[in-house]
Parts: sequence; C-alpha cells; structure tokens
Amino acid sequence: MSDFSEELVRSKTEDEQEESCMFSGTGMSFPWLQKHIETVATGGKKEKDFAQTTSACLSFIQEALLKHQWQQAAEYMHSYFQILEDSDSYKRQAAPEIIWKLGSEILFYHPKSNMETFNTFADRMKNIGVMNYLKISLQHVLYLLHHGMFEDANRNLSHAETWRYGEKSASQEVLINLIQAYKGLLQYYTWSKNKMELSRLDKEDYAYNTAFQNMLNHSGKMSVNLCTLIQTPGVWDPFVKSYVEMLEFYGDRDKAREVLTNYAYDEKFPSNPNAHIYLYNFLKREKAPREKLISVLKILYQIVPSHKLMLEFHRLLRKSEKEDHRKLALEVLFGVLDFAGCTKNITAWKYLAKYLRQTLMENHLAWVQEEWNSRKNWWPGFHFSFFWAKTNWKEDKALACEKALVAGILLGKGCRYFRYISKQDDQVIKKKIKRIKKSVKKYSIANPGL
Amino acid sequence: MRWEQLLLDDAFTGGALAWVPGRTPHVGQLVYPVGGALDKLYFQEVNLTPNGDPQALGDPGHIQLRGPVRQVVTRTVQGECESLGYFPPLRLRPWLACCLTGPASLYPSALLAVRSDYHCALWKVSKQGHPAPLQVLQVGKGATGISLSPHLPGELAVCSRSGTVCLWTPQDGLQQVYKDPETLVFWDPSPWRWADFTAHPRVLTVGDRTGVKMIDTKGPPGCGLLLFRGGAEASCQKGERVLLTQYLGKCGPEPLLPTVHLICTQFSLYLMDERLPLVPMLKWDHGLPSAPLWAQLQPPPRPGHPQPLILGGQGGHLQLLHLTGEGASVPRLAGPPQSLPSSSDSLSAFPLLEPRSQWRLQERLKAPTIGLAATIPSSASKPVLSLFQLSAAGDVFYQRLHLQAEPGHHSRAPTASWTPQATACCSRWLKTLLEVPPTPPVWAAPTFSNRCLLNQVEPSKVEQKVPEGLRAAMAEGRLLQQRDLGSLPSAEPPPAPEPGPENELSARLEAAWEGRVAAWWEKQQGRSSGPRKPPKRHKRRTQLSSTFSSLSGRLDLSDATSPPHSPDRTSSEARPQPLATPPSQELTQELWAQGVPSERQQTLRDYMAKLPVQGDAPGEVSSSLSQSATPSWQQTLQGGATQLPPRRNPPRGAALPSSQTSSFQATPSRQQTPGLSGSQRHRKKPRMGF
Repeated sequence: MSDFSEELVRSKTEDEQEESCMFSGTGMSFPWLQKHIETVATGGKKEKDFAQTTSACLSFIQEALLKHQWQQAAEYMHSYFQILEDSDSYKRQAAPEIIWKLGSEILFYHPKSNMETFNTFADRMKNIGVMNYLKISLQHVLYLLHHGMFEDANRNLSHAETWRYGEKSASQEVLINLIQAYKGLLQYYTWSKNKMELSRLDKEDYAYNTAFQNMLNHSGKMSVNLCTLIQTPGVWDPFVKSYVEMLEFYGDRDKAREVLTNYAYDEKFPSNPNAHIYLYNFLKREKAPREKLISVLKILYQIVPSHKLMLEFHRLLRKSEKEDHRKLALEVLFGVLDFAGCTKNITAWKYLAKYLRQTLMENHLAWVQEEWNSRKNWWPGFHFSFFWAKTNWKEDKALACEKALVAGILLGKGCRYFRYISKQDDQVIKKKIKRIKKSVKKYSIANPGL
Repeated sequence: MRWEQLLLDDAFTGGALAWVPGRTPHVGQLVYPVGGALDKLYFQEVNLTPNGDPQALGDPGHIQLRGPVRQVVTRTVQGECESLGYFPPLRLRPWLACCLTGPASLYPSALLAVRSDYHCALWKVSKQGHPAPLQVLQVGKGATGISLSPHLPGELAVCSRSGTVCLWTPQDGLQQVYKDPETLVFWDPSPWRWADFTAHPRVLTVGDRTGVKMIDTKGPPGCGLLLFRGGAEASCQKGERVLLTQYLGKCGPEPLLPTVHLICTQFSLYLMDERLPLVPMLKWDHGLPSAPLWAQLQPPPRPGHPQPLILGGQGGHLQLLHLTGEGASVPRLAGPPQSLPSSSDSLSAFPLLEPRSQWRLQERLKAPTIGLAATIPSSASKPVLSLFQLSAAGDVFYQRLHLQAEPGHHSRAPTASWTPQATACCSRWLKTLLEVPPTPPVWAAPTFSNRCLLNQVEPSKVEQKVPEGLRAAMAEGRLLQQRDLGSLPSAEPPPAPEPGPENELSARLEAAWEGRVAAWWEKQQGRSSGPRKPPKRHKRRTQLSSTFSSLSGRLDLSDATSPPHSPDRTSSEARPQPLATPPSQELTQELWAQGVPSERQQTLRDYMAKLPVQGDAPGEVSSSLSQSATPSWQQTLQGGATQLPPRRNPPRGAALPSSQTSSFQATPSRQQTPGLSGSQRHRKKPRMGF
C-alpha cells in the first residue's frame, strides 16, 4: 500500500509537481480538481485520447463498484485491461496494481464468481510485471484463508517465499518477512491441532511419540518463520502470541520472556497496549514477583488507564507495603472511572467505596483531596447527577448504593445523588443504606469544618 | 486567502443541518439556516411516518441572527441540566437580534450549538421543541469548529483560526486548553482547526490539516499524544490533508466503538483507536469526487447489526458504509461501501422542460451541499435510515434507506423510486422554482465545478451498447465518444476550440452559415478517432479478459435500468430487449486465437470451457433481489410550505449560473456535455448560434 502511493507520487515528473503545487498554492492536492488543474497547467492542451478513455473507463468501474453493480463492473474491467498496452510507460506500470485491486474486489462480490476464477485471476496478475508478485501472493493467501483453504494458502506461501527478483529491496524484504510469518502462523495452526490431539493421547501410547515428533517438526520451522518478522518494528500481535505459546510449551521461558520484553519495550515499536498485556500475562503465569508485575502494569496504566486489568493493578497495589503504591492504587481507581465506558463498572465503584474508606481511616485525606481536586468540577455532572441517581437506581440498585457511598464521601450528604438514594424506601437493602449513611457521616471529606 | 477558499471552502465543515429528536421517535426538528445570507435559523418540525414520506408539521419557527450560520450541532441531554439557566453573553455585543422563545422548560431534551464566522451560540431545546438561548460567544479571530460534549451536558469545545482551543460551559465560561498557531506535524498555511471529545471527558482531540493530537485538559499545556499523523504510518499520499475528524464513540448510550475516531482526507478515511495511536485500524479510499466534510454515524438499527456511517461530500456525493467490531475486535467494514444517489441524480425523474427551465432546474439541483443529517427512527418493522441534505440554494433533500441485516455480500444494485407524494411535492417545488423570475447575472469570481466531467455521463443509463462501445474505444486507443455510450452522436456538443493554427470554432461557424454543419461534424468525428494503433501484447490482456468475460457477458437487465426510475415511465420502456447472442464471448474467443501460441490454445480452450456458461440466466440472478439499501427518491422539503424563497444573493462563491458558464468556457473540454439521462436522452440540445 505504502509503496504504491510512493510510486504514484514519485513517478510524477518534477515539473508536474511544481505546477500542481503552484496551482493548489498550499501543497494540498485536490483529486477532484486535478483535471482542471492539469488542463490549465498544460495550457489548454488535453490529455491524449486514449488516456481520457482509460480514465473514463476507470471511473465507470469505480462507480459500478460503489453501486454494487458487479456485473457491470466486470464488463468495464474487461475493457480496462487494454491499459496494459498504454504507450505511457508509467501508466502501464501502475495499471496492474489498479487492475488487481478493483478486479479482486469485483471477483470477491460477483454473484457468478467462484474460487477457481479468483485463483486464475490472481495467478495471472502475479506474473504481469514483477513488482506486484509478493503483494498479490499475500492477498491471494488471505483470500484463500478467508475461504478456509489452508492447504492452498500454504502452497501459495511456499511459492512466494522462494520467489526472488533482482536484488532484494527493502520493501521486498518486509513482504518476504510477512509471507514467512504467515507461513509460520499456518504452521502454528497445525501445531496447535496436533497439541490438542496429543492432550487426548496417553503418554505410553505409541501414537504419542509420533504426534510429539510431528509437533516438534512444525515448531522448528515455525520459529524460523516467525522470528524475523517480530524483530522488525510493527504491530504483530497474533504472530507474537503464537510464537510465545510455542516457546512456552517447550519450556523455553527465557526466549519467550526475551521476545515479549522486546515487543513491549523496544522503542522502535509503536506504543502497543497489547504488548504489555501479553508480557503481564506471561509473568503472571511465571509467578513473577509482585514488584515486577506492578512495573509492567504501570506502563499499561499510562497508555490505557481504562483497561480492565487496571482493577487487578489496583488489587496488587493495595496489597503493597510501599506507601506510594497505595497512593497509586487510589489514583488508578479514579482513573478507571474517568472514562465514559466504565461508568457502570460496579467492581470499580465497589473498590473505590471500600478503598476511600480505608484511605481515610489511615488518615490519608491529602491523597483523596489531590485526586478529587481535579475532578470536583466535572464528576458531579458526569457521575452524580439527579438523572444518574434515578437511572442507576432503576437499573442496578447495588451499583447505585456503591455510588451513593462514594458521592456521600466526596460531596457530603447534601449531594443530590446521595440524597436520592438514601431516601429510597427499600426493605431489602435498608440495612445497607443505613451503613452507607453512617460511613458518610464519619468519612465525608466535604466541608470538614462544618 | 480567496484563492484557497475557492479551492476548498471549509466553512461548512461539520454541516449546517441538524436533527433534534422530539417527543416520539418519529417526530423531530430539522434545524438549518435559510435566506440569502444564511442568517435565519429555521426550526422545522417534521413527522417521519413509518412507511411514507416525511411531513412538515406547521410553519417553521425561526431565529434571526446577525451572521451566516456555518455549523449546527445538537446532542440530546442525558438527564437534567437545571444548572443551565440563561447566562449573559460573554462579550457584550448582541448577536441574537430577536428570539422566538417558548416557555422555558425545566427538562430540555437537547442542546443546540451554532457556529457562525465570528460567533458561537448555545440554545437548549425543550421537549416541546422551543429553543431558549443560553449564551453567545464572540470569537475575534474566527471560529472554525464547535462540538458538544457527549459526556457533560452543556460543555463545548470551540476552536478558532488563531490555533486556540477552548472548553466552553455556560456556567464557567471559557477555559483555554490549547494554543498553537503552528500546525501539528509539518507546516501548512491553513488556519483551519478542529476539536472534538474522546472517551475521557477531560481529553480532547485537536486537529488541523496535518494531523490530530489528543490533549489532556488537566495536564500542563502543550503536552499531548499524536493520534494521527499525515505521513508514513498511515501511508498517506503526497498532498494529503485532514479534512474532518470526528469522535465516533458518542453515538448512543452504549457505544460500540467507544475509543474510535474517524479521520477523513481527500483520498481516504481512517479509523483510529485512541488506545493505539498513529496506527490506523482501518483505511479505505473513499474516492469521493468532492471534499468529504460531513460524516454521520448512526447507532446500530438492531442489536448486533453493524453501524451505518454516512459520508458526505461537498458536491452532494454520499457514501454509506457499515462499521462493525464490538469489544476487543478491530473495527472493520461490513460489506462493500455503497454510493447513494445525490440530489443532481434526481434530474431524470423530473418531467422534461424547455431548455432554459431545464438548465435552471439542473443548476438548482447541482448547488453544493452544506449540511447532512440522519436518523433511524426505531420502529417495529424494518429499520429505515432517513437522510436529509441541505443545499446551498436552500433546499432540503430527503431520502429513505431500508437497511438490511447483512450489508450486501451478494446484494444487488439498489433501486430507487419516488413515491407519489414525493412526485407531487417535487412538482410543486419545481413550479414555484420556475415561477420565480430568473435572477439577473451577478458577477462572482469564477468557480470550479466540483463535478468531474466524466461523471456526467451516466453509466447507469447504459444499455448493452455501452460496454461494447467502450471496449472498442479502449481497443483502438481512441477518445471515448458520446455515441459509444449509447446516445445519439448529435447530442454531443461540438468540441471546444483548441488553440493552434486551425481555428475550429470559426471553421464550424463558417460551415454553419453555409448550412454544411452536418458534414463538418462528420469530418470532426472522423478526425478525432485518428489513426488506429496496431494492437500489441495481446497475450496478457486476453488472458485476463478470459477471467472476466465469464462474468461479464450479458448485462443483467435490472442493472441496466437507471436507478432513479422516472415516475411516469412505463416499465416496458425502461427495459430494453436483450440481444440474442452475447457478443462479448465471441469477441474473447477470437482474441484467444490471436494472442496465444497455437500449442497452448487447446489448454486455454479447455479452461474456458470450465468457466460458468455466461448466457445462462440473467433472470435467475435478478430474481434474487435483496437490496442492501433501497433509497426512495429525494423529495424537497421546503420550509413546510410550498413557498420557495428566491435566492438573489447566494452566500459566498456558491455556484452561480452565470459564473459557471464563464468558467466552463475558459477551460476547453467537454464539460458542457449535458448529463443526459433517462427520458431526456434523445432530446437534441440546441446549439449555440444555430
């Protein structure tokens, strides 16, 4: 994708670029004005007839696709192949990619298209021009996987893997890595099927050894295939996950840890919350010390403070002996409840109610005030409005009670949320409300002077 | 500045049309500006009957403002905002001249924010539908965007040309949260800025043409994390710029995509997750022929269904996409995106008029869009998406789409139709339009038409002849002509004069005076086809053709009929008889023999034989009619009454008839090719001077 657009940009001659810059004035391009601008730029001279016809044909195809007229699009596509004979070498070179993109879309949706047609088309497109072989192979494989054709996909990947053209360029290398990684992923699929079988077999069984040997074969190839890709910066979640699972199965914990640590902490990789989640889950399985777990989740907290692991993070911090950890435990809870998606998370409210009481009991009023100061002007409207009191009470009484306790502590017993809930006459949770009232009276941080 | 505005008029980004839900799901108010200066804000109550067309209930209420309305946003308020009483204007300068206010209600159901060039204003709309003003804000440098918080009632984000972003609440006034006159990623001269909310009520997105950043309003100023960068991560093209950014998580009480943001550029749309910034979750090339300045995400019509996202371009082009991806999964498109009919497509549904009136109607329908609103009134029967489109000429177009559970894997082309009411309404509208005396030409700067000239040749009107003509033109490498597209050659206007030793115009005029114009025309036609190039490299093409010939072959008949059925056309007229033999197969067979070495021909013939027989059943396919969306044709909704205010002073460089003609003449091309379609196709256009 990126290469294609680069090519598109690169192939414009310098003059053209200057011209269009001059006419757009800003460097911003206007695809819908391009025609007008080009006409002006060439002093009224029009494009060549064939160029006009091909661009008309292209827009017919695009329009038919957007109108879901697959049949008609196929008709136009049939004509569009003529562009492969364009005398303009740039257009001729750019054409296969356009044909592949539009053609595969047509064949994907066309009511009369089938697997065979698609495969034939893909195989032919691969060999028109050398630039697209790898890209088309990969997309063809994805199509096959989508239709459950694992063997065909694997065969195609093997072909693509051994394909070489000229010197290995950087873009080719990335694609080859990807192709190998997908091959590795397919091997993982077979491997984990074998693993399932193995778990059903008895260790003494003769078949056990064969199956085990089988798995071992796959795993060796798999690690070779996956290794290169996951060392290149990028987001490779499924590849990393399956590689680590395999390493763990064979007891290579050091390697697994190394892979995950690199994936999470290497600065060349984009910031990826999943990388930290995988590392945390691995360390948890390994029964790593709490300190270590906390340090991993601390980074996740900075990236995604609303993640559901944050409640686990809070539990870890709560149990810690360090004072700054216990302070962070409060901060984490407030952080979770800041998010619109977490407002009805009853566990978070329960934890906050409990932890607020505990914190105040331990005389850490300053901690609470520090968190509350940045929120006191918007939490009342966001969480503790009259509307939410009514809605929460109607939908989830337990949630309403937890929230009422928090509201009472933070805002005082005069706040509307607390007042509404405490006035409810409900036999079942009468006792609970009474307890809440008592806690609020004891711990409320609102107007401590009064 | 003026030149940039001509290239891209971003004043209406976000759109000046809003739907305020009312008492019941089917009743609501459309809020939009009218008048030549767009300074009158209309509140039109509309009843969306479940199966019929929308009815305007009564006359619209209006508020007169002292400035053009550029953007109207609305949001239903979750719960009370009793704290929102009337607040004095932040700067003492009356912007609201007079207000039509009803009894102030304690339980307003919606908030309404309006952006003008130098002012922003906030109203609350009561359940009775009466707007009550809350506060007016003056923006000295010019406001470029306004958005209402989905989390806290009455909180807004306003951004201005100076690069400042402010949080604005009527109670607490303004709080500057960001200021940077420079653009985010690289230098760009555009002062356009945009701000929206995120999943965290205290974190805002700030966008300009080069990228989008997330800023924490609690944190120290200047810090933040880039959410989108125009560059390599998103594999942007050269000259690609952000035109619109929108937080998608605010749709409905339990949003499916609580952390997803939409970013639109001239070329593509991107979905970004704020938890994984800079790496697009989805990229799709929309290919819209005008700037996408409006997007509307609707809640899923049923639980578990994908969410419809409507993308609107300035030229009236609309696209419908379906987004899915719940919980942990990545958002993706469900089914192929679809283009929806635009207002100018409805031309063919109007009765044939005399050329001058026809031209006026065409110009009116072509007026640029300045706002988009959509709603899905929940009803027991099939989910229906109601879509309103406001044009710069002051018309509101309406279309209704029947949504399907699984957006079109094997769905067929949507069909469009006008209901009788719509036809009646449109003819009333047309009558009023034509009664208004034509406006005297007012000088205006020449404008570019956003309509790409080739799109004017309606491909949906094509019959069997078209692909053939097209194919022939492609094969010979010559210019595609009108006659290739199935209409009479005489319908094509003469080519525009070309500079050069041979003055075609005078030659043609000369010929015309002597009455030999037909002969001259023949000659021209002959010349433009030019010498035929010998075909080369047949092999590749024919190999590919074989893949597609199996699929193309005969056109399906219902495909060939034009989507906007003219209400008065009978079905027999609309459906041409199929040809006895599909010619394309013969053609390909022939090409086979030419391009392929003789020793391989047998193999290929075997392969061909395996392909599905093409002539097999056009009827079979068309019988499985499952439209993914059935737009029922636009009708105009003009202020509840049939009265149509003539637009004597169109706002800014809106396409004025006179100016367009002049610009067309300045650029010699086939732009004057009339968008002949449907019943008008066979009408000869009178040629200038004859």
